[in-house]
Amino acid sequence: MKKWFKIGTIALATTAVLAGCSGNNTGSNNGNGAENPSGDNGSGTGSKGAVELTFWGDWGGEGQIQFETMVDAFNKSQDKIKVKYVLQQDMITKFLTAATSGGSPDILFWDRWRTSLYAPKNVLHPIDEFMEKDGLARGEFYEESLKELSYGDKLYGLPLTVDARALFYNKKLLAEAGVEPPTTWAELEAAAAKLTKWNGNKLEVSGFSLGDNGLFNMYLQQAGGQMLTDDGKTNFNNEQGKQVLELWDRMLNKDKVYKVGFEQGLGEGTDAFVTGKLAMQYTGPWMLSTYKKYGKDLDFGIVPPPAGPNGDKASVMGGFGLVIPEGSKHQAEAWEFVKWWTANKDNALLWAKTSFNIPGYKPALEDPFFQDDPFWKPILDTLEFAKIRPQHPGYSVMEGDALTPNLQLLQQGKQSIEDTLSKAQSQGDKLLGDNEVK
Amino acid sequence: MASMRKLERHQARTAYLFIAPTMLLFIVFTVIPVFMALYLSFTNYDVISKKDWVGFDNYRRLIDDTLLWTTFKNVLIYSVIFVPLNILISLSLAMLMNRAWRGVKLFRTLNYLPTLTSAVAAATVWIWLLHPEYGLVNGLLSTIGITGPAWVAQTETAMMSIIMLTLWQSVGSNMIIYLAGLQGVPEYLYESAKLDGASKWDCLRYITWPQLRPTTFLVSTMSIIGALQLFDQAFVLTQGGPANVTKTPVYLIYQQGFNQLQMGYASAQAFVLAMAILIFSLINMKISKAEESVV
Repeated sequence: MKKWFKIGTIALATTAVLAGCSGNNTGSNNGNGAENPSGDNGSGTGSKGAVELTFWGDWGGEGQIQFETMVDAFNKSQDKIKVKYVLQQDMITKFLTAATSGGSPDILFWDRWRTSLYAPKNVLHPIDEFMEKDGLARGEFYEESLKELSYGDKLYGLPLTVDARALFYNKKLLAEAGVEPPTTWAELEAAAAKLTKWNGNKLEVSGFSLGDNGLFNMYLQQAGGQMLTDDGKTNFNNEQGKQVLELWDRMLNKDKVYKVGFEQGLGEGTDAFVTGKLAMQYTGPWMLSTYKKYGKDLDFGIVPPPAGPNGDKASVMGGFGLVIPEGSKHQAEAWEFVKWWTANKDNALLWAKTSFNIPGYKPALEDPFFQDDPFWKPILDTLEFAKIRPQHPGYSVMEGDALTPNLQLLQQGKQSIEDTLSKAQSQGDKLLGDNEVK
Repeated sequence: MASMRKLERHQARTAYLFIAPTMLLFIVFTVIPVFMALYLSFTNYDVISKKDWVGFDNYRRLIDDTLLWTTFKNVLIYSVIFVPLNILISLSLAMLMNRAWRGVKLFRTLNYLPTLTSAVAAATVWIWLLHPEYGLVNGLLSTIGITGPAWVAQTETAMMSIIMLTLWQSVGSNMIIYLAGLQGVPEYLYESAKLDGASKWDCLRYITWPQLRPTTFLVSTMSIIGALQLFDQAFVLTQGGPANVTKTPVYLIYQQGFNQLQMGYASAQAFVLAMAILIFSLINMKISKAEESVV
């Protein structure tokens, strides 16, 4: 009896693992129905005859207030459509069940790189016809961001924000060391070495951050390379990849401008750049408000990323968009909202001023708000040549599980440059193949 | 005789009635999902558009999924160090806290407190403590002239950091379990042992430890299961890095299922994990001879 009880306990605990996996998607069904207008029977229309739309996003806190500001402005601008923002902390998981079991939202706040995984599964509605009908020109948006929202020859949404990394530098530290903001790899290397201060074996000021291995993509393009080949294989085990790693190796091990783990755990208020422990780093416009808030004593500037050995300029573009799910029952109305927000100069500008994001609609960027600001200008310049990440559904897995681990071994001196590149290639190609959408 | 059977039947009915709500919840939220997961592991389920039977394809793919086996190796290394240390430290703490001295309740509470913190919050604090330049740990090491490592960023120490953090969080609750176990050891056993001239060590070796066998079985089983399912702390502290040395199976399963929408394959991975847990728990049962009576 006792024995059986014990075996039973183990069995129960074991099943808990399995239940955890599949339980998640059954559980997330809860609460969808109540928040959504149910379609055809007319209950979705409000008292004044306006169509009610649901807009899902996963931005809470300040982001939620920014979204609601835009939604309110849209609702006031006309009386046919009424949009409601619903915060979904675990939005993608919820959308998975909503997409199949009804209760789909009408508009979705969308991390653009997900498009290559979701669009082939027919859960997003193509907007090409809407674009044509309203005569919207593709040329008014950042082409790269549209590319990221496309699959096959169909477009699935419009860009809400665009961002790219540029070089942020501490003006005071650069002035003390007597260096100018670098414009090439060689200048970057020399400047970083000059800016670094060691006290015995304690790193006091790091000249340049080498903490983010995810930036390999950007360096590779500066060296004239590409992450993936056209047929979806890794493309960095070559001369260009070697140039990047040799640069990293020199900066980390010869000039010692950085120490592995230096920035880990330094949060907002103690950020190494804010506290003057880091002189230069690659980061994006999302850090501007933090640096302005915390850095009363921080005098910083921004320049586009230094060019590679052959003068190639590169940065990686990211950002969000708005998409319309295939499950929405009011796609035409949803389009009106998407268009109002992302393809109108005044509204895109209102969004920019509300949220401090760069909208994907180029005419809005001609405003003095962007053009006369010393912080926005270099980022806009960077966006001119920034490219999106490769559109392969397995790309982020390849980067996280094959490339980055090998780069970390290199940085810790446990692997040669040649081994790093060839191992990252073989492991990376396998992950890309395994995660292809067939 | 007949009325006796009637009474038994009545009692049985009442008993079933009482356990019905729990069993119902258990079946709906545990048993059915488990069987669904088993079924899904033989399909190419992607949550949205596909659910076709693919036979053993997912299980064949597991065989050369080197990353999955790396993560198993990681949690195995973790378990081999974590489980014995967990038992040793929580038992020692429990014996220390089992004495009647002033303020012992305060110390029991203090030792239990880490258990109450959320895994994510605790990990965030530990990142601070383990910072290579400004962390408390390396600060203390530097006073005795040692340059501490970049704990969470170096391949040699990353797993050690996670072990420290999870031990800190789990010894408190296991201490409570051991305390309860210790208080259930009959006093007369020690008394008669003392009369026979047993030393303190003899008492521990031949009375306390054997008497605590069921408790140790519980603690070790729960730690093995917890260890194989390691996720939160590792995710926050090291994000699976450096060089994949702290990536865990649960992390991969989540990524494969929810980020890559390969729920069928993720279910197959989850089943392998469940089997591993079952096997290790059974081995643990054999070692601790849990089914034998303690007295």
